[in-house]
Amino acid sequence: MKNNIRVERAIKNITQADLADAVGVSRQTINTIESNKYVPSTVLALKISRIFGKPLEEIFILEEGD
Amino acid sequence: MKTRFLFPYWCRYLGFACIVFHIPIILFGKSFGFDPHNLPDEPGIFSPHHLFFIATSLLMLTGLVLVAFAKEKIEDEQIAQLRADSLQWAIYLNYLILITSLVFANQQDFKDILHLNLWIPLVFFYIRFRWVIFRLNRSAREEAI
Repeated sequence: MKNNIRVERAIKNITQADLADAVGVSRQTINTIESNKYVPSTVLALKISRIFGKPLEEIFILEEGD
Repeated sequence: MKTRFLFPYWCRYLGFACIVFHIPIILFGKSFGFDPHNLPDEPGIFSPHHLFFIATSLLMLTGLVLVAFAKEKIEDEQIAQLRADSLQWAIYLNYLILITSLVFANQQDFKDILHLNLWIPLVFFYIRFRWVIFRLNRSAREEAI
């Protein structure tokens, strides 16, 4: 699964730390999600998409093989 | 994410204090002939040597449990997953050592195997857990630069 968090952050002009604070996780977790090393839980994914005000599918995209 | 059954963050320091505190007690006891690893064959439990063994082992184990299962500053779902992974590795390693030592040890060594089993899972769990967090922090720092 890939994601557009980095792009969305740039559009909204917020840092990883800001996003981490907003959803209640550590900055490292946001970093590993952005670099596709960690797949967030549904709850966390929904929280992130709510911060960006977009549907989940626009932020997190399934890849072939998932 | 709610993580249950973990000690508060400050318990980590209490745990380290217990571990550090138990070392001089062992050294002090040894100078009086108390060696927790070589209990003399005394009848019954709660003999002075046995009590000394219980006190030092309890102090060390309490310290290790507090250190290993204290919450992180920011406790999130990734930390919970890393903790579970590390626990799995620690149990694997523990049983590997246990099985190997059962195969290659004779009856006199069983006490030493028990001693090993007291601390190996917790120590290995903690080392592996901290190592993975350290690697995550390092890669996050490198990307930030």
